[in-house]
Amino acid sequence: MGPHIVSAFDKELMAIHAKIAEMGGLAEELLSQALEAVEKRDPGLAEQVIQRDKRLDRLEMEVDELTVKVMALRQPMAQDLRFLVAALKISSTLERIGDLAKNIARRGIYLSQARRVNLSASIVRMGQRTLEQLTEVLDAYSSRDTALAVAVWRRDVEIDELYNSLFREVLTYMMEDPRMIGLGSQLLFIAKNLERIGDHTTHIAELVYYVVEGEPLGDDRPKGEPLALDGLTD
Amino acid sequence: MTMLQPDEAETETEAPTAELKMTARDVDVFYGTNHAIKSISVDIPDKTVTAFIGPSGCGKTTFLRCLNRMNDTIRNCRVTGEIRLDGEDIYGRDIDPVQLRARVGMVFQKPNPFPKSIYDNVAYGPRIHGLAGTRAELDEIVERALTRAALWQEVRDRLDAPGTGLSGGQQQRLCIARAIATAPEVLLMDEPCSALDLIATAQIEELIDELRESYSVVIVTHSMQQAARVSQKTAFFHLGVLVEYGETSRMFTNPSDQRTQDYITGRFG
Repeated sequence: MGPHIVSAFDKELMAIHAKIAEMGGLAEELLSQALEAVEKRDPGLAEQVIQRDKRLDRLEMEVDELTVKVMALRQPMAQDLRFLVAALKISSTLERIGDLAKNIARRGIYLSQARRVNLSASIVRMGQRTLEQLTEVLDAYSSRDTALAVAVWRRDVEIDELYNSLFREVLTYMMEDPRMIGLGSQLLFIAKNLERIGDHTTHIAELVYYVVEGEPLGDDRPKGEPLALDGLTD
Repeated sequence: MTMLQPDEAETETEAPTAELKMTARDVDVFYGTNHAIKSISVDIPDKTVTAFIGPSGCGKTTFLRCLNRMNDTIRNCRVTGEIRLDGEDIYGRDIDPVQLRARVGMVFQKPNPFPKSIYDNVAYGPRIHGLAGTRAELDEIVERALTRAALWQEVRDRLDAPGTGLSGGQQQRLCIARAIATAPEVLLMDEPCSALDLIATAQIEELIDELRESYSVVIVTHSMQQAARVSQKTAFFHLGVLVEYGETSRMFTNPSDQRTQDYITGRFG
């Protein structure tokens, strides 16, 4: 793609791209720090995540403003139009990922005050997998790499499976020891947040594909089996 | 030369595909030694607005003018290939260009009313083609054409006033009324809004949308937004070649040819 005849248009598109890149980087850091806070039982770090999420919210509003302005003033077409529509959606998706990371951090504060459990390790493993997915989809966005986007999209099933197995595990612990219920619930919420981040990541993958190819990726994404609770209750 | 047709995948989701009104096959146009149009084949569906877009000098107006033999009037201009209206070769020996132009009307870039009254501007075509037997019938044709052109309410009290005294937008609607007074089947419009302001443009676009119910409309426009707003099919011309032709909604969101993409996104250097 060559440059636009009106170079100011290119500058505006690049400004939006830069803001989304910043949002992506920040979302990654928030998730990474939230996981670290859970792993190291560090409420100070968790507090930082909660504070830094505000920057992500501000950036989302800035992307919205810029994008609406460009749409109104430039009447974009074709790939430019797709890029801008995707920019709106990706920024709002990243903002939600930030919210979920913040929520993980909040629950991390609770966990840091409770007794140590082995399950935290499984959560962190699932978190690392989610973070890798997020990093890769942001790379795919930056380089407009649809093959990478599709690979991320397909791999989300692994996170779903990790979630399901964690869910069973936590539930078993809670049934064995009712004193675990409070703690277990926190862990389940963290796992659910990670699973949601995984879904948002696949949504970004779909948008990358749409920007480049001009058509939707389709809806036959492999998904984990729905949770069956049979056998867990006596 | 491969035939460019609206992609099949899209026509499936559309309402029943409109019948073809005009077909062009391997049309070449030469101005002297200048090869202006290169082997263009395209189908113009009925009751549809087809937009021709492309940079200046790409041949879109030249091609439009082939559709009602307006190029006949230009010396040194030679048209080869085949253009059919309802299956009939319009360059055939037994075709009278004047009769043809009653069936394939044209509206030009600049409003060009005759230096006559509003009434006579519209009545001119029906008179020379003998479409009205009595004055009452002619009155009716004039009123109907002006009504369809969304001008009747504004001029009904001053039909004897000169057409040239109207505002630019009104003059262009008068020209549209004049073009549709002979009950054409196809309406060719060569940048009909380029001399008009925003409001007058919106009125003409609204009119084009209404005319689509009865006619096949072909519009040449320099405004991408206008093509996107008014047409269902878009053809992109470049350097005398038809680069891409398809559903307007797809052409403006996901064109298949890089040249189309570059042009509509403003990247043509």
